[in-house]
Amino acid sequence: MTEKTKPTSGANETTPAIIMSDVSKRYSLGQIGYGTLQADFQSWWARRLGRDDPNSKVTSKAGRGGFFALKDINLTVARGETLGIIGRNGAGKSTLLKLLSRVTAPTTGTIDIYGRVSSLLEVGTGFNLQMTGRENVFLNGSILGLSRAEIKENMDSIIAFSEVEEFIDTPVKRYSSGMKVKLAFAVAAHLKCEIMIMDEVLAVGDAAFKKKCFAKLRETASERDRTVLYVSHDMATVRELCSRCIVMDKGRIVFDGATDDAVRLYEELGSSHRV
Amino acid sequence: MTAHTHITPKKGWFNWNLKELWDYRDLIFLFTKKSLTVTYKQTILGPLWLLLNPLISSFVYMVVFGRIAGLGTEGVPEMLFYLTGTAAWNFFSACFSGNSTVFTSNANLFGKIWFPRLTVPISTILTAAVRFAVQLLPALGLLIYYGAKGAVHPDWRYCLLIPLVVVQLASLALGCGLIVSSATAKYRDLNVLVPVGTQLWMYATAVVYPLSEIPAGIIRRIVLINPVTAPMELFRRALLGVGTPELRYVLFSWALTILILAFGLALFHRVERNFLDTV
Repeated sequence: MTEKTKPTSGANETTPAIIMSDVSKRYSLGQIGYGTLQADFQSWWARRLGRDDPNSKVTSKAGRGGFFALKDINLTVARGETLGIIGRNGAGKSTLLKLLSRVTAPTTGTIDIYGRVSSLLEVGTGFNLQMTGRENVFLNGSILGLSRAEIKENMDSIIAFSEVEEFIDTPVKRYSSGMKVKLAFAVAAHLKCEIMIMDEVLAVGDAAFKKKCFAKLRETASERDRTVLYVSHDMATVRELCSRCIVMDKGRIVFDGATDDAVRLYEELGSSHRV
Repeated sequence: MTAHTHITPKKGWFNWNLKELWDYRDLIFLFTKKSLTVTYKQTILGPLWLLLNPLISSFVYMVVFGRIAGLGTEGVPEMLFYLTGTAAWNFFSACFSGNSTVFTSNANLFGKIWFPRLTVPISTILTAAVRFAVQLLPALGLLIYYGAKGAVHPDWRYCLLIPLVVVQLASLALGCGLIVSSATAKYRDLNVLVPVGTQLWMYATAVVYPLSEIPAGIIRRIVLINPVTAPMELFRRALLGVGTPELRYVLFSWALTILILAFGLALFHRVERNFLDTV
């Protein structure tokens, strides 16, 4: 780490940005989305009597405990660190990010977050097709936690980055899908927050734009005091951005350390699973 | 000092972070602006529909309740009576039905990004309030016309209570809406009930008829216990000078409003933490 100590707050590289202790997240299988009062009453009654839930579609595998998407996660991320999170599909990466971005609450354990969190999960969430590009920049930016003043201040820079200048006052429904993505990424790239969550964000636009996005990501990630959690299946970018990396498998952190070792383990995991 | 967020699995009932909500005030404004502008895009008449809607329904009430059912309006010109009632009721029902689907209709957005969820219900109320103000315009026009002719006599003392009436209608609708939306996050049955229920609720409220037209008995009791009746009567008393809102029913309806609002907010807060897992 090359961060300098910030004199005002006394922050140094060991100041934590995120501390997760014994965090688990359980989803109850089978019943999810069942959603009628009668069925729920039945399940509740069965549980009271200690019987198996008659409405649970998956009983044998998960049992009555449900399914743990995350189990006993202990993780500390220092301020300014860029942490890579890798693992196969269903390993728990997205659940981890959802907990950190407060979209859903943990089942057990506590999470402490020092700083404002913004997630770059699926760019363009909250776009309204009837509204113009400019209106959507305001809407999307506000949803992501920017104030109107901050958006106004960055408007020119956002528009320039998006490459859709000519169409900025046209309703977004007339945009091509590539244009939408570019505009959305431009907003996300201008977020000013201490902790940034990036989940597979580089699957955007054409090759040239992708390159530009990555450069912007790298610039963002290298800012001192900016903590970044980077999730990707693209090992080349993980290697380039992250100094530290965790590998997740079946809801647990199975490795935490140098990126090169993590990537090697991930590739081994992949090949052993494939058999 | 950076912001510190502490997340635990504990499900509190009253754990409001008003500062967070205030930080997101721009978002409330933008949501409101969005729903006000987007609704009338790609319509020929545009916002004019806002004025036409109550006029059309008032006309229908005039025919059905005035002519066919023969219900009186306490001497107030019929069109004015119905317009005032529908504007206030539309405000209430827009707040209620708009908020009753907060979770289900925003599941996609809520599932990806966190922001104070209450921004959505609050902007629903603000949107409805703006529409209410616009919908009152034709009624006010008629009021001035009939007032000049001496056919209606607004009760100026009661006019001071109008802000309170509006706040009560909004709070009650918000409370009820949040209860329904929290319940529909899991039980979709209620979604079907809301449109029919709102319709029935209107008839159980003194909207298209004055309270005085209801004879003593079980039906009158239902109408009186209904917490929307008191603000409705107050509103008409102020603008049209008719109706006799009794203090005890006003107080009772306020007590019920506060109770429902508190329960709705608590339930909403409890559900918002985990609703994603059930939606």
